[in-house]
Amino acid sequence: MKITKLLTALTSLLLLANVGLGQTIVGSSHDFSTQSWNTTGEICICCHTPHNANISVPDAPLWNHQLTIATFQLYTSPTFNGASTITQPSGSSKLCLSCHDGTVALENFSQTTNGTHYISGVNNLGNDLRNDHPISFVYDAALAAADPGLWNPTTHPSGIGSGTITNTMLFNNKMECASCHDVHNSTGIAHLLLKTNAASALCLTCHNK
Amino acid sequence: MLTIPLSISAQTIVSTKHNLSVTGPGTIKATTEQEICIFCHAPHNGRPDQPLWNRLDPGLTYTLYTSSTTQATLGQPDGASILCLSCHDGTIALGSVISRGAPITMAGGVTTMPTGVSNLTKDISNDHPISFLYDAALAAADGQLVNPASLTGPVKLWNGKLQCTSCHDPHKNNFSAFLVATTQSSNLCLTCHTPTNWAGGSHRNSTATWNGVAPDPWFHTAYTTVAQNGCENCHNPHSAGGKLRLMDFQPEENNCLDCHNGNVAGKNIQAQFAKTYKHNVYGYTGIHDPVENSLVATNHVECVDCHNAHQTNNTAAVAPNVNGFMIGLKGINQAGNPVNPALYEYEICYRCHTNTPGMSPPATPRVIVQGNVRLEFATTNPSFHPVVGPRNNTEITGNLIAPNTASTVLYCTACHASDGTGSPKGPHGSIYPRILKQQYITTDNTTETAAAYALCYSCHNRNNIINNINTFPEHRLHIVDEKAPCNVCHDAHGIGSPGTLTNNSNLINFRTGIVTPSGGIIQFTDTGVRHGSCRLTCHGFNHNPETY
Repeated sequence: MKITKLLTALTSLLLLANVGLGQTIVGSSHDFSTQSWNTTGEICICCHTPHNANISVPDAPLWNHQLTIATFQLYTSPTFNGASTITQPSGSSKLCLSCHDGTVALENFSQTTNGTHYISGVNNLGNDLRNDHPISFVYDAALAAADPGLWNPTTHPSGIGSGTITNTMLFNNKMECASCHDVHNSTGIAHLLLKTNAASALCLTCHNK
Repeated sequence: MLTIPLSISAQTIVSTKHNLSVTGPGTIKATTEQEICIFCHAPHNGRPDQPLWNRLDPGLTYTLYTSSTTQATLGQPDGASILCLSCHDGTIALGSVISRGAPITMAGGVTTMPTGVSNLTKDISNDHPISFLYDAALAAADGQLVNPASLTGPVKLWNGKLQCTSCHDPHKNNFSAFLVATTQSSNLCLTCHTPTNWAGGSHRNSTATWNGVAPDPWFHTAYTTVAQNGCENCHNPHSAGGKLRLMDFQPEENNCLDCHNGNVAGKNIQAQFAKTYKHNVYGYTGIHDPVENSLVATNHVECVDCHNAHQTNNTAAVAPNVNGFMIGLKGINQAGNPVNPALYEYEICYRCHTNTPGMSPPATPRVIVQGNVRLEFATTNPSFHPVVGPRNNTEITGNLIAPNTASTVLYCTACHASDGTGSPKGPHGSIYPRILKQQYITTDNTTETAAAYALCYSCHNRNNIINNINTFPEHRLHIVDEKAPCNVCHDAHGIGSPGTLTNNSNLINFRTGIVTPSGGIIQFTDTGVRHGSCRLTCHGFNHNPETY
């Protein structure tokens, strides 16, 4: 007990110390170190491992969590010009969905495959992604030319540092979950957003509305 | 190629009324909510069936637009229009979004869309139709719509359908009302609509302005000339008072007389309708139908029966050809068959003045009873006023006032028109019966004056007539001495069957009641130029017969 309290106090101090210097995953909604289903007490281990990682997963650094094998219903809309390039969730987005589609237990990491705790509520996107912002589609200058409601990502500033949308928010020219969210909470903004959405600033980074 | 024009980037949703967040510029906005997109869209957890929509489908059955001139198959709103209506029908709270547990609180206690032009209500029958398939077949059936394949500009169809978002971009207010193009000179309307001959019409081209006297004829625009207002001189795409064809007003004539009342147009037509004798456009509402037959079946008159507001202009013409004021109208030709468009003015008059049910019987009882004006003017008749073609003899040519000659053809409106100097042309209204342009007394025992029969004397030389020069040698006896009006002996339109050249030349068709039989007979017999005989009794004089 004493050790636990001490750790909590230290964590609080760490959080305070980090204000203004960038936030961390510690204490964020992705800090699962105190969750009952996480018997390791560690944070990173739920997704990453320094050794014996699953190297069969693309775009997955030292990956340690069981991957979803679900087939997803993809976003569709008559006004969506990315329909020609959208694919099943790829890249890092598939890693996110390995918890957030609700089909893989949270504790199914480090060879555990029989977990019983699943994500719930608004954080469970399910396998139907039609009501979620599209991901895993190419967002390039051609798409912006076809859809005047989008900024040209190769030239438009993202507001993140001095970069453009392409070089600070896209991955191989694709929009992924990580285009809006930083799973590691570097910003400290609610919902792990990459930048503030006050006045819909995050949306309007790409959407010319 | 990839450069985005500054004009587009200059206006974003942030500075529009659709920014309902706490930073919004409008009066309707949230108390604390900072996000803008959230009122309509959510990146997660919105509706599964529509792209990132964050609002519920009102699920209502709307009262739809309907009209006899719409070929489109109109159904309940669908597509993006549902998202618009989820605020603009006034049934769902503006702050009620799916992704939030509780509705977003709006300032001032606002919940649903306040009553006003932005609240279309569940009755969208007075709004431009939406959610209908606009395909090439529709364009062909309508005849005055562009082929939608040509819609490559700002107006877009969604899954082939016209939706709210075809005319409005809710994200940008570069033009008023979030429109995707300007409505000046009806630029937006004309993207789809191609009214026949609109380009040459006065309502397309007139630079007339409003003199500021109420009522404001352009109450739903900010434009200041007829040409700028274009379609919106008469039509209102939303909350149209007339519903049918989205007219500003339901009483048909009100759509015209708010400009043609001396406040915009040069002539005050409305003033003519205050006179006793008129084409009473006020007397009918909801009877006229643009698709009605050429031959009017139900007695009525509206401005648009005689004027095509899309095409009308002030181009002059020579009788009997229709002039610009009356182009683009249906008619009944001299043979009694429908024509569209009418080529001759009388064909438009014949729509009603042929044998339309409910028309008044002839005003004057005569020996040969006629009720069909069309037949009275046939050029095969024994005699007729030259409306359909020139007269069939030269007997009275010497009495015609220039520029009338034997070959003159007259419009109906030569005689039937508003009285008064400077009055607008045409038979709108007159102080004289039968909407005559000048006085034409038909009362027996009228003292002959220039004024009494001014209508006749405008073409027929009075001096010659009352002094028996080059005319019926007993005219003075009858008109001046016996005070018989012209109308007693002459049937002004013409005499058709069973009239004959012998008995009904020179428009002779006696008025019964004043002219009575002699020995059971009322008859004129033509025996040559200015020679004939009459058998009848009149003013107590028995002509048995009298010859001249």
